[in-house]
Amino acid sequence: MNEDIINIDHVSFCYKGASKGLLNDVSLKIRKGETVLLCGASGSGKTTIIRLVNGLIPHYYSGDLQGDVTVAGRDIRNTELYDLAGVVGTVFQNPRSQFFSIDTDGEIVFGPENIGLPPEEIKKRFADVKDEMQLQELLGRSIFGLSGGEKQRIACASVSALLPEVMLLDEPSSNLDIKAMNDLSNAVARWKGQGKTVIISEHRLWYVAPLVDRVIYMENGRIAHEWTGEEFRSLGKQKIKELKLRPVEFDPNETADTADASVSEDAVVIRDMYFSYNEKPHVIRRRKFSDYDEKDLDLNIPELRLPKGKVIAVVGHNGTGKSTFFRGVCGLLKRCTGTITADGKVYKGKERLRLCYMVMQDVNHQLFTDSVENEVLLSMEEEDKGRCEEILDSLGILEFKDKHPMALSGGQKQRVAVASAIASGAKLLLFDEPTSGLDYSHMEKVGSLLRKLADSGHTILVSTHDPELIAESCDYILKIEDGKVESLTRK
Amino acid sequence: MEMKLDPRTKLFMVLIVSTIVMMSATTPLLWAVRILITLIPLVLLVAEKKYSSALKFFLLYVTALVVNFVVLVNSDGGIVVSLLTGYCGIVVQFMPSVITAWYFIRTTKTDEFISAMQKMHVPDGLTISLAVVMRFFPTIAEEYRHINDAMKMRGIVLGGGNVVKMVEFRMIPLLFSCVNIGDELSAAAVTRGLGGTVKRSSVVDLRLTVKDIFMMALFLSAAILFIAVKYIR
Repeated sequence: MNEDIINIDHVSFCYKGASKGLLNDVSLKIRKGETVLLCGASGSGKTTIIRLVNGLIPHYYSGDLQGDVTVAGRDIRNTELYDLAGVVGTVFQNPRSQFFSIDTDGEIVFGPENIGLPPEEIKKRFADVKDEMQLQELLGRSIFGLSGGEKQRIACASVSALLPEVMLLDEPSSNLDIKAMNDLSNAVARWKGQGKTVIISEHRLWYVAPLVDRVIYMENGRIAHEWTGEEFRSLGKQKIKELKLRPVEFDPNETADTADASVSEDAVVIRDMYFSYNEKPHVIRRRKFSDYDEKDLDLNIPELRLPKGKVIAVVGHNGTGKSTFFRGVCGLLKRCTGTITADGKVYKGKERLRLCYMVMQDVNHQLFTDSVENEVLLSMEEEDKGRCEEILDSLGILEFKDKHPMALSGGQKQRVAVASAIASGAKLLLFDEPTSGLDYSHMEKVGSLLRKLADSGHTILVSTHDPELIAESCDYILKIEDGKVESLTRK
Repeated sequence: MEMKLDPRTKLFMVLIVSTIVMMSATTPLLWAVRILITLIPLVLLVAEKKYSSALKFFLLYVTALVVNFVVLVNSDGGIVVSLLTGYCGIVVQFMPSVITAWYFIRTTKTDEFISAMQKMHVPDGLTISLAVVMRFFPTIAEEYRHINDAMKMRGIVLGGGNVVKMVEFRMIPLLFSCVNIGDELSAAAVTRGLGGTVKRSSVVDLRLTVKDIFMMALFLSAAILFIAVKYIR
């Protein structure tokens, strides 16, 4: 049990074309059967270590690699990626881009087919994985109809089917809700029980913290701290905070409902918002949504009063209608009915687009021009360079004025999107999971940005699965369930 | 009714139908053949439970046919009529291959496609590129929808009246995200052994059945009939 399965020996690495090295003289030995957590800020080298072990460095991402990496007796440099497939398995961060097939069954057998196993053996493994991970209800489905959590379960299953000795998980929970994170935690526990070596790189720690044997803390491409699981779990909240890590324990009380909020004061009011993806057949006149049965509606909000100038967290499981709600509020859903009243003015139909602005989860979708300044000017009805500079300055991105938005970091891009939202004069800002995949200090920054926007009179709706963000930056919690408002509570 | 055809049969149908639509039908017999080879994939779509797309295709095709044969034959000139003639002509001419291709893409799983190509000894490089393309269509559609939403929020759906901008605003984010997704997708695929030297196996056991042979024979004879009537006589 005590032999080393992974040996990273004095490794330095620098991506091709990058001036700064991402790893500096890192040495790390991992024993067979160990469960290891890699933590630390974004860009500290966690992902690079994962890529060293699965061979994507140097075989897929090229760069300057010094030192030796050995995995299960194989020198990574001289081992082809396809020879590693049965030895090392990787679950990636983004569920949308790790599927090769378009159906779940095909995805699970994809790996075993690639390494040329006989069909009977593949069928046997398929059946084993299905039973072990309780996938019955997910089989035979289209990948495109799955929620993020379901996709990640299929990803785990398809890696499992290759029976690798080493499992790597690269920020696998970034897009998951709390229930799906528990599923993922079960998968890790199962692999651990089977004696597999598991390495997890992660920002959200609570769901894996109880399982890990060892914790490696990375900082600027070096291993800065190392704890046993026991030591790590007893570090205490204060120390974890100093290390800029997210909480190790999940405290449901922090987000617990206190009192139902009745918003009588200044409010943004949403009325009669109904929508269904499956419209009833009609010949000439469309049936009104109010005639629909409740269960046929994907959005069913007779009245909702949102406190003005506050940050409101929107919570609910994956696939429960949060994004439909957001698109409906913004006026992006074609037949979605309803009005929004703000500052005594009623916005109907497409007018809602002028009141609302959504900062999307993938901000790359909403950056269109070749410089940050143009991006903001594009949103203004009349170009006003003075005001543009003011907005950029208030968000701390004035220095990037002439840069191409795509050349900025994720957090900076988000700020550019916010800048164009402010420039458009939107009063109701919606953020779709703005902190997914962010480390603690970046999450803090987003949190203070939300606060600042609210203090300047904007009403903020933010959909999130991060209890930390809710605890630190939100005033109210709006719970959505099956397209209906379940509760609006003051935090 | 269970009507699962082999991917090879479907590919053959796509090939034949595409050939036939390139030749114009001149006699009632040829028109009948044309309509027949359009109706077959429609029926197959219904058999695979793709009701809504089958119905949409059917209505569009029938409307175009009726307009083409009944309305336009007896009318004379006019801008509306000539536009209609052009539009319906294109639909009637090329719809059959669109329907057949749609049928092929919507009812073939990636896995089946790859093993069918392997059985036909198509090189792996080509097979895998084609499989990725098939896999990518829905992704592009999804990304495009997000970008369109973003443009609506900015009020630039029409690019401020500038056609170049209208295309540019859509294409640039779309290209960025497709390149990113493609990159991550291939990284994920190679860590699961894609591109190895061992021969890929498959759990899909493809066999040509009587249905397949019947269908191929039917389509082949349609093509032969077309060529015989038009070019040999």
